[in-house]
Amino acid sequence: MKIKAAIDHMDLRRFRFWFQLSAFLLLVYGGRLAINLGTSLPTFSCGYNKSGTAGVCYLLPLQHQLAQPWERLFSPAGVMVLSGLGIFLLWFVALNKAWCGFICPLGTIQDWITALRKKMGIRYSTYTDEQFKKLSLIKYVFLLILIFVPLAIGGQFLSHDWGTPFCQLCPARMIIPLFNGDFSQWVIDFSSTGRMVLTALGMFITGLFLIGSFLKKRFFCFFCPMGAFHYIFSKLSIFKLKKEGDKCTVCGDCYRVCDMQIKPIADDVVSKDILMDDCILCLKCVASCPEQGALRVDILGKTVFESTKGGFVKRMGLEAKK
Amino acid sequence: MSTELPQHQVETSQQRHIRHQGMEASGVLDTVEKGFGGNPEAMQYFYDLFRDVYCEGIKPHPDKEMIGTMCVQIPDEIIHAAGGIPVRLCNGFYTDEEVGGDFMPAKSCSLVKASLGMLKSETNPYSDGIKSIINPTTCDQKKKAAGMMREMGYQVYDMELPPVKESEEGREYWRRSVRKFTHEVGKLTGKKVTRKNLKATIKQVGQAQLTYHRLNELRKNTPIPILGKDIFMVTNAYFFDDLTRWTAATEKLCTEIEARVAEGYNAAGRRSPRIVFTGSPPVFPNLKIPLMIEQADGVIVADETCSSNRLLNDMVSVDEWFMYDMVDAIADRYLKSCTCPIFTMNDDRIRRLIELVRTFKADGVIYQAFSGCSVYEMEQRSVAKAMEKEGIPMLYIETDYSPSGTGQLSTRIEAFMESLKVRGRQK
Repeated sequence: MKIKAAIDHMDLRRFRFWFQLSAFLLLVYGGRLAINLGTSLPTFSCGYNKSGTAGVCYLLPLQHQLAQPWERLFSPAGVMVLSGLGIFLLWFVALNKAWCGFICPLGTIQDWITALRKKMGIRYSTYTDEQFKKLSLIKYVFLLILIFVPLAIGGQFLSHDWGTPFCQLCPARMIIPLFNGDFSQWVIDFSSTGRMVLTALGMFITGLFLIGSFLKKRFFCFFCPMGAFHYIFSKLSIFKLKKEGDKCTVCGDCYRVCDMQIKPIADDVVSKDILMDDCILCLKCVASCPEQGALRVDILGKTVFESTKGGFVKRMGLEAKK
Repeated sequence: MSTELPQHQVETSQQRHIRHQGMEASGVLDTVEKGFGGNPEAMQYFYDLFRDVYCEGIKPHPDKEMIGTMCVQIPDEIIHAAGGIPVRLCNGFYTDEEVGGDFMPAKSCSLVKASLGMLKSETNPYSDGIKSIINPTTCDQKKKAAGMMREMGYQVYDMELPPVKESEEGREYWRRSVRKFTHEVGKLTGKKVTRKNLKATIKQVGQAQLTYHRLNELRKNTPIPILGKDIFMVTNAYFFDDLTRWTAATEKLCTEIEARVAEGYNAAGRRSPRIVFTGSPPVFPNLKIPLMIEQADGVIVADETCSSNRLLNDMVSVDEWFMYDMVDAIADRYLKSCTCPIFTMNDDRIRRLIELVRTFKADGVIYQAFSGCSVYEMEQRSVAKAMEKEGIPMLYIETDYSPSGTGQLSTRIEAFMESLKVRGRQK
């Protein structure tokens, strides 16, 4: 009981900061200590960060595998795609989208950029409802690209120059290797049309990433195909974000602190499983909720963290001075 | 030099009004204070406060800039941050209602009439010190009252509130209202709202709310450690009392009630039905229905009214302690969780009621609507239907401030209590 109260009252901001920092160091520099977590990680642990990465983002091998010639892909040898997916799922099921909110190095970088903005006292930007609805679809477009472009390569409709298309567009490819002093990705590859288009777009998206995440909290996560991919499997996870609609007063505190502007977190009083496709499971909503038990995190059906008045008071700095 | 002749004193109408007001207030105070046994000692602060303000005419905030507010949606935090003292003008005096009757149609809300009457006759100890009034565009009667208050010479600030709170448009509209208000309130008080001040007042109001929560939580206990009439006195005092003093007095009360809970003290009868009170707000001295309920051996364990729970329940949550985020956070708290019937939908209110009945282990709901308070009258049907579906007994009472006709009301309330007791026995 004491432990539970301590968790419910924790300073989530600080906990996340240190957790994210540790995860960042592990994933970005762990390779130097010969740590190898495989190639099916459900987070942007970028494979282009060759000198430091402690494991590889699943989207890289996935795109490689899907680009095999069709006769191989659709033969018993194609099972290897499934085995990669299986390992991805094992990783994912354990933590669900908390991979985004607590581990993803690219997410962490965005949070650091946000911290910088906050230091400068500049207001964050938000999308309007209509913008949100439209932009929210972009991640599915990326997901389709990263599945169907490789398939088209395997079917010989496209040349290999279009290989690993999403990685070429992803800002992680350019940004994460920087932390190991590797600038090799900061080029536009003129070797072929495909490479040129992809790397130029990638350069553009990286620029957008840097500006965007300064103005908008978790700017890129909104477009992240990994998030969309996660969502397909999120129901399988043992890690759940739950809501008790009856206890909710719809005060909107959770919605307002949400980096991803997820409105149903406040307005939906019917759904029990409140994880949405844009969610990064950062748990800020749970921490900001003043209603006892209205929002909670369950692991294997056991509540590990829930909204409490005491926790709210502590995090808001409202404790009475004795 | 002329010699002063001894003059025969004739009571002016204002003096008479004040005398009537004092009589009305002290009558109710006597009932609250002496009509029930076992008052918590810490309640004395509140009884004395009401006696001072309403019977003795002692100003609660001498030489401070008081800003009148007309509804629960006006952000106290912002007024405090601008160095003003928010004073809620929603008034409960029958004496004032009679004066206010001149302004409004016969079938209109007692509360609005009484508030207008108080402002017209400048008889409340705080009303003559108030120059500026913040009036949110809530119900039609409050909206139209703004014009009349202007006519009386008050400076009225219309604070625009949307009629729909679910939509993003409504939320943005209200945020703009609040941002504008944050900017403008400084002109009324002569002090700008700064980041530092606002942060401090958010915490100050938050602490007051927290103290209220602590008190309210204690009402979940069986046996019930404190009567509802005392809670209404506490929350009504929040309308005008000094924030720090109020918080300290309420904390003291909490400590005392906690001790009562520890020893299993019962403030009500052995089988008193537990009641959730909802509808038009009881405002001192119009505690008619709450007092009748508790005189009929009921006990109010929770409420869903803008003079009590709705006033203090929901708290501001800030993510980034800058003006941009604090002001928006305040705006959201006053709009999104508000269960005022002026909004198009009342699902939230129904959900809140059901949740209150459940968590406070209530036996029934009593719904008060001031006759002429059309929004509460109109919501009655949907609430009654929802309560029926949940199997929660509800009594709907249409009433006003007039002291007559209480016999019939108390008979109905007593019958309701009896039926709840019978129901309790059968369970």
